[in-house]
Amino acid sequence: MLKLTLRRLLVAIPTLILVSLIVFSLQKLLPGDPLLTMAGEERDPEVLAFLREKYRLDDPFHVQYLAWLGNVLTGDFGRSLRTGVPVSTLIAQKLPVTLQLAVMAIVLALLIGIPAGILSAVKKGTATDYAANVVALSGVSIPNFWLGIILIMVVSVQWQLLPASGYVPPTENFLQSLRTMLMPSFVLATALAAYLMRHTRSAMLGVLSSDYIRTAKAKGLLPKTVILKHALRNALMPIVTLTTLLFGELLAGAVLTEQVFTIPGFGKLIVDAVFTRDYAVVQGVVLCTAVGFIFMNLVADLLYVVINPRLRHPQ
Amino acid sequence: MSQTTALTDTGSAPADLGASEPVLAVENFALTFSANAPANLIDGISFTVERGKTLCIVGESGCGKSVTSLALMGLLSSPPARILSGTARFEGRDLFSLPEREKVNLRGNGMAMIFQEPMTSLNPAFTVGHQIAEGITRHRGLPKAEARREALRMLEWVRIPAAAKRLDAYPHQLSGGMRQRVMIAMALANRPRLLIADEPTTALDVTIQAQILDLIRHIQEETGTAVILITHDLGVVAEVADRVAVMYAGHIVEQGSVSEIFANPQHPYTIGLFGSIPSLGRRQGQLATIKGAVPPLDLMPKGCRFAPRCPFADRRCMDEVPPAAELAEGHSVACWYAPIEEKMGTRQ
Repeated sequence: MLKLTLRRLLVAIPTLILVSLIVFSLQKLLPGDPLLTMAGEERDPEVLAFLREKYRLDDPFHVQYLAWLGNVLTGDFGRSLRTGVPVSTLIAQKLPVTLQLAVMAIVLALLIGIPAGILSAVKKGTATDYAANVVALSGVSIPNFWLGIILIMVVSVQWQLLPASGYVPPTENFLQSLRTMLMPSFVLATALAAYLMRHTRSAMLGVLSSDYIRTAKAKGLLPKTVILKHALRNALMPIVTLTTLLFGELLAGAVLTEQVFTIPGFGKLIVDAVFTRDYAVVQGVVLCTAVGFIFMNLVADLLYVVINPRLRHPQ
Repeated sequence: MSQTTALTDTGSAPADLGASEPVLAVENFALTFSANAPANLIDGISFTVERGKTLCIVGESGCGKSVTSLALMGLLSSPPARILSGTARFEGRDLFSLPEREKVNLRGNGMAMIFQEPMTSLNPAFTVGHQIAEGITRHRGLPKAEARREALRMLEWVRIPAAAKRLDAYPHQLSGGMRQRVMIAMALANRPRLLIADEPTTALDVTIQAQILDLIRHIQEETGTAVILITHDLGVVAEVADRVAVMYAGHIVEQGSVSEIFANPQHPYTIGLFGSIPSLGRRQGQLATIKGAVPPLDLMPKGCRFAPRCPFADRRCMDEVPPAAELAEGHSVACWYAPIEEKMGTRQ
C-alpha cells in the first residue's frame, strides 16, 4: 500500500509541473495589462517601467516561469496586485471555508444519494423507484442560486430556523458554523446527490443481477446483508470515482452558491481576482485547485485498491 | 403415486412413514413467468428425492431444469415468476407456502445449492474463507474465530490443497475447479439435508469434472445428503444417479431408477436422448437423433409437448396430456403408447 502510494505520488509530479506551466502561461496569453491598473490614473511611463522592472516582466518566459515556480515551491505565491496581501494568506483564509462547504456538501450528497440509489435499484420498477428518479431529476434541474434564494426566503426569513448568510469558523463556534453552512451545503448537495443516486442505482442494478448475489441469497443471508454487504461493496467503484471527482469540483469553489449566501470562499476569491486581473491571485487559486484535483485522484486510486482485492493481489 | 398421496396428509398418517419418507417430495408443480403466457413454463411436475440418494434431472437446455431448482430454493424473483400450483414438501414443510423468513433460514442450512458458473458465483470482494464462514455464522451463530476454523475444516474436506493458505485467498486467485470446490464447501458448511447441484461440472475441464463428481458422491456417502443433480450430460447421469427424471419442455416425461432408464427407456424422447449412446445397442434408426426443436410456448400443443417431434404421435397425443403411468416399480412414463414396444406393435 505504501509503495503504491509513493508510486502514485511520483506519477503526480509531471502532472503538477504541466499544470503549473499551463497556469503560468495562460496569464501571459490573457489580454489586458495589470500594470495599467497598478500604475493608477496617471500611467506615468516611469512608474510603468519601474513596475516592469520590479516584477521582472521583461525577462524571457522561462526565466519568469522558473522564478515563479521556485517561489511557489517555498510557499510564496506572490502578492495580490490589487491589495498587496500575500496570495498564500488569501488562500489560507479562504481554503478552510471552501473545504468546510465542500465536505459538508459531499457528506450530505452521499447521505442522500447512496441510500436513494440503493433503494431505487432494489425496488426497481416500483413507485419508490419512479419517485426517487423524479426527485433526482429535479435535483439536477433546479438551479442552485434559485434554490438558495427560495431556501433563504422560507427557512431563514419566514421560519427563522437558520441564518441566511455569512460564515462562522468552526473553531469559533462549531454548532453555529454547521448551522450557517447547512443551507448552502444542502443547495450544493442536491445536484450531487442526484448524480450519486443515478450512479449508485445503475451500479447496484448491474451487481444485483450477478451470480455471486444469487450465491449470497442461496446461503440464506438476510436481504440487508446481501444488499448492503455483498452488492454495495461491488458497486462502490463507480461511486468512489464520481464522489472524488465531485469533491474536486467543489474545491474549486461554488461561485453562485457562495454569492447567494455571501460566503467568503474560493469561488468569490477567484471571480474577484479574474475581474480585477489580479494575476497572482488567479495563479495561486487555480494552482491550488489543480493540486486539490490531483490529490482527489490519488485518493480515488488508493480507494480502488482498498475496495477491489483484484488490484491488491494480482493473480 | 400412492407414495406421494400418502405424503400429502402426513398429519393424519402414522409415523411409520418416517424411514421411507423422502427428503423432498414435489407434487404437481406448475410455474409461469407471465400471467398471459400461452402455456406454463413448468407444467405439473412431480418427483421425490430420498435421503442419501441422487436424483438426476436431465433434459436439453430450456426444458425447465434450472428454473425448477431455483424455484425450490426460492431464488426466483416473483414477479415475474409465479407458482401456479403444486407443493414441494421438504421434510414435511411445503416450500411454496413457507413464509419468506423461514425460507431464508432454510436456505444454505437445510437445503443448499451450487451453480453452473464457478467463475462468477463467488463474490470477488471477499476472501473465500470469509464467504464460507459467513454462512456458518448466519445459521449456526458461531463466533468469528470458530466459524473460520469450521471454514478451514470445510476447505480440507473438499480436498483443497494447502487449505489454510487458501482460506485468505480471493476468488480470482483460484482456478475454476478450486472455486467450484469452494462453492461445494460453502453449500455443505451447515450440513444440509438436500443439495441441489445445477450443472456443477459443465464449465469445468473433463478431468476436473470427474474429481468434482467424485467429491459430491463421496460427501453424500459420508453425510447422507440427498442430491438433486441437474445435467444434460448422460455420462454424468450414468456415473452418479440413483434415479433419473427426464424433463422435456416443462414436463417430466419419464422417471425411474438409473438402471431402468438406461436399460429400458420407454418415452420416445428418452429413447431419442439415449439413442446416440452406442453401448445401448440397436434402437429404431429414426430415433437416433431427435428432429426439430422444442416449440415456443405459443405453439405448445395442448397434449403431449413432445408430440410435434415424436415419430409415433397421433391426434390424441396432440390434444390430451398423457398421464404418468407406472410401468414397473418406480418407473413411470407419460406417454399414451407406453410400453412402447407392445403398443406400437399392436398399432402396426
